[in-house]
Amino acid sequence: MADPQLEKPKQPRKNMDLSEDDLGWGQGEFSNPGSSPDTIQYDWQDITEDFIKSTEELKLGELLHDSDFGLFEAMSAIEMMDPKMDAGMVCNQANRKVLNFEQSIKAGTVKIKDLTPPQIIGIIDATLACLVTWLEGHSLAQTIFTNLYLHNPDIIEDRCIKSFSLFILKVVDMVREKVNRASVFEEEDFQPMTYGFKLANHLSDMRVGGMLREVEEEYLKKIKSTRLRQGEDRDESTELQHQQFIAVQSRIKFCRMFYGALMAFNKKEVRQGSVEARRCVQQGDHLLAGIQSSIKYGIQSPTDASVNDHSVIMGFEPLVNQRLLPPTFPRYCKIVSREEAVQYLSKLMSRLNRIFDIVECTNLHVAFDFFIEFSKQSPCVLSRSLLQMIFLPQNKKIFGSELIQDFIREGIRMFLCPPVLPICALYQIHGHNRARQRDKLAHILEELANLQDEADKVDAALHTLLIKQEPQRQHLACFGSFVLYHTLHVMILYTLSGFELELYAPHEYHYVFWYLCEFLYGWLISTLTRAEGFLLEQDSISEQLQKGRSSKKKSKKKKQRPHDREIATAQALQNFCNGFYKAMVGLSLADKIRKPNSECDNEQVRYEHRFAPFGNVLTPPPVQYQQFMEMTSLSKYNPPLRPIDFYISSCKYFQQAKGIFESIPNPSEEVLNLIKVAKTNFVVMKLLVGGHKMDSSEAACFDFTIHKVFPIIKIN
Amino acid sequence: MEIESAKEGEKSCLRKKLESWLNRRLRICMTDGRTLIGTFLCTDQERNVILGSCEEYVNPPDTTEKEEPRVLGLAMVPGQHIVTIEVDMYTPPQAIL
Repeated sequence: MADPQLEKPKQPRKNMDLSEDDLGWGQGEFSNPGSSPDTIQYDWQDITEDFIKSTEELKLGELLHDSDFGLFEAMSAIEMMDPKMDAGMVCNQANRKVLNFEQSIKAGTVKIKDLTPPQIIGIIDATLACLVTWLEGHSLAQTIFTNLYLHNPDIIEDRCIKSFSLFILKVVDMVREKVNRASVFEEEDFQPMTYGFKLANHLSDMRVGGMLREVEEEYLKKIKSTRLRQGEDRDESTELQHQQFIAVQSRIKFCRMFYGALMAFNKKEVRQGSVEARRCVQQGDHLLAGIQSSIKYGIQSPTDASVNDHSVIMGFEPLVNQRLLPPTFPRYCKIVSREEAVQYLSKLMSRLNRIFDIVECTNLHVAFDFFIEFSKQSPCVLSRSLLQMIFLPQNKKIFGSELIQDFIREGIRMFLCPPVLPICALYQIHGHNRARQRDKLAHILEELANLQDEADKVDAALHTLLIKQEPQRQHLACFGSFVLYHTLHVMILYTLSGFELELYAPHEYHYVFWYLCEFLYGWLISTLTRAEGFLLEQDSISEQLQKGRSSKKKSKKKKQRPHDREIATAQALQNFCNGFYKAMVGLSLADKIRKPNSECDNEQVRYEHRFAPFGNVLTPPPVQYQQFMEMTSLSKYNPPLRPIDFYISSCKYFQQAKGIFESIPNPSEEVLNLIKVAKTNFVVMKLLVGGHKMDSSEAACFDFTIHKVFPIIKIN
Repeated sequence: MEIESAKEGEKSCLRKKLESWLNRRLRICMTDGRTLIGTFLCTDQERNVILGSCEEYVNPPDTTEKEEPRVLGLAMVPGQHIVTIEVDMYTPPQAIL
C-alpha cells in the first residue's frame, strides 16, 4: 500500500507542471490529423506517473474497465510491438525514406532500362518468391506488390522486365479469378484483395504471351552469340555472360509455360485444354532444376539491409504498401527464399500434372476417390481450385461438357436434377483445406438427409410403377441405397477426420472406434452388399430389359468390380476399429489411459458433441449415449472381464483386419500402411496378453506417423 | 479503524482517477517512437493498456509534417513499451463499444 502522506501533495503539482507544457503543443497540427483544426480540439495532459501509480494499486490479474468491456473484447485486440501482429513495427525499422516507383526512378535508385542480366535474374527470382508467398495465403500488398515495377509496367523500357512484369500481373489476375470461382478457400488459404492495383487488363492474354516469346527469342540469340565455338579459347567473363543469358532465357520460358498452362485451363473444351496444359506444365517443370542452380547469378539482397525477411534489391520496397494495409492487419509476412520458391513451383507443377488424371475418371465414384486422395496430400489453394474448375467448370457440367445426369438414364433424369447440388457440394468439400472439410462435411449431412427422404419417395413411386411391368421383381431401395452409401461415407470421413485434426483425446478413442466398427462400417457393408445383390439380380434379367434400364443398372454395372474391393476394405476397417476398441477398453481397465478429472468431466457431453451432426440423419439413426452405455456395459459379465480378455480379443481383430487387407489385390500405399499398423498393433496386443509391462503405470501412447487416422499403440 | 478507512479512501481516490480516464482519448508514446491515439478501455497491474479506435502515427507528435494516421482499431499496448501517457481533457468520455 502506498503511503497517502507522500503522494498527496506530489500529484497535483506534477499535473500542473506538465499540463502547462502540454498546452503549447496540444493544439498543434498533430492533434488534428486528417480533420480540420476547427472541429476537433485536444487538451493533452501528461498522466504518465499518475497512471503508473494507479495501476500499481490494481491486484494481480485484475482488469480495470468499463462495465461494457470484457475479457472477450480484450482478447481480440492486436498486440503492439509483437512482430507477428504489429505490421506497423516494420515501418520504424527502416531508417530510410520510402519511395514509390516514380520517385525511385527520379532518385535514380531504380533503373527502367539497361538492366544487367544479374539484375534481371534477381528481380525475377525475388518476384517469384513473392508470388509463392502470396499463393500461400499472404496479401498481395505485402508480397508481389512490393515489386515497384509492377506498379506501372508501361513505363519500363527494358523489354525483359516489362514483359515479365506484365506476365506477373496477368498471372495474379488469372489465379485470383480461378480461386474465386472455384471458391474452395477460406481466409487462411488465400487473400484475393487487389488493393486497386491494375492487373494489365489493357493488354490481351495472347499479347503478353507473345511478348514473353519475343524476349525469349532475343535471349536465345544472345546465348547463341556467346556460345563456345570449336577451337575457341575464351575468357571467363564471356562464359559467365553465356550462363547468365541462359538463366534469363530459362526463366522467361518457364513463365511462358506456366502462363500457357493457366490459359489452357480457360479452354471450354476441358479435355483438349488439359492436353495443352499438361504439355506446358511438363516443359515448365523441366526448366526448374536449371533455374534452381542459377539463382546464384541474380543480385541478392544484402543480409544486413533486408527488412524483416523482405527482399530489398533494386525495384523492391517492402514498405511501399504499408499504408494500404487494412486497419487491423494481424499477418506478419515472411517472403520465402528463392530456393524455396523454386521448390514450391516444382511441386506445384507436379500437382498440376496430377490434376489432369481426373480427366480419366469418368465414373462418379472413381472421381470421388480421386478428390479424396488428392486432398490427402494437402495441396495448395491454386491446385485445389484448378481441380474444381477442370472437373466441374461451369453449368455443373462435368469437364464442361457432360451433364452429371448423363450418368443416369434418361427416364430418371427428372429426379436426378435435385441431387446434383449436394453431389457437387461433396466434390467441392474435398477442395477445401483439411481443417475446414470437417465442418463442411457436418453441414452436408443435413442436405443428404433431405435427399434421402426424396430418394425413398422416388423408390416407392418407382416400385408401384414398375411392379406392373415386372411383378416378380422388387424395386425398393435403389436410390435410397445410393444416397445412404454417400451419407455413410460422409459420416465415416467426418469421424475419421477427428483423428487427423487431433481433436480426440485418447480417453475418447473407445467410443469413436466403437461407433465406427459397430455402426458406420456395419451399415456401409450392408449397403454395399445390398447393392451387389441388386447387381447380381440385374445381371440375370438384364437381357430382357435392354431399354428400360434404371439407374442401378448403369451405375452399378460400372462399379461391379470395385464393389468387392470396397466391401473387403470396409470389412477390414471394421475389424481394425474393433481391434482398437477392444484395445482401448483393455488399456483403460488396466489404467493405462489418462482420464480427465471425473469431477469436471462428463463423458456424455463429449460423446454427444462428437457425434452431434449425425443427429440430422434419419438413416442410419444416431446412436444415443444411453444406448452406447447399455451396449458396452461390462457389468453383465461374471466373473468380471480382465484387461487380458480384451487384449486377446483385440489381437484377434487386428489379425483378421490384417488378413483381409492382405487379400486385397494390388494394394495401394494406404492399404500397405494399414497392414503395417495392424501388424504392429497385433504384436503389441500379443505382448500385453503375455503380461508385458503389466506393472507399468505409464499411459499408453499413440503414434500417428505411419497413418494419420489409425495409430500404432505404444506401451511404456 | 480510522487509519484504515483513510487508506481505503486514498486507494479509491487513485482508482477513481484511473476510472475517470476510462473512455477518454489517450495519447501513448511507445518505446519505438510511434504514437498511438485511442479511447482508453482497459488496463491492469502491468499497465498494459487497451485502446479502442486506435490510430497510429509514425512521426513524433511535435513534427510539423502532416501525417495520415493508420487506423488500428482495438490495440493493446504492453506496459513495458509505454513511454508517456497523456489524456485529452477536452473531449468528454465517450463509450465506443
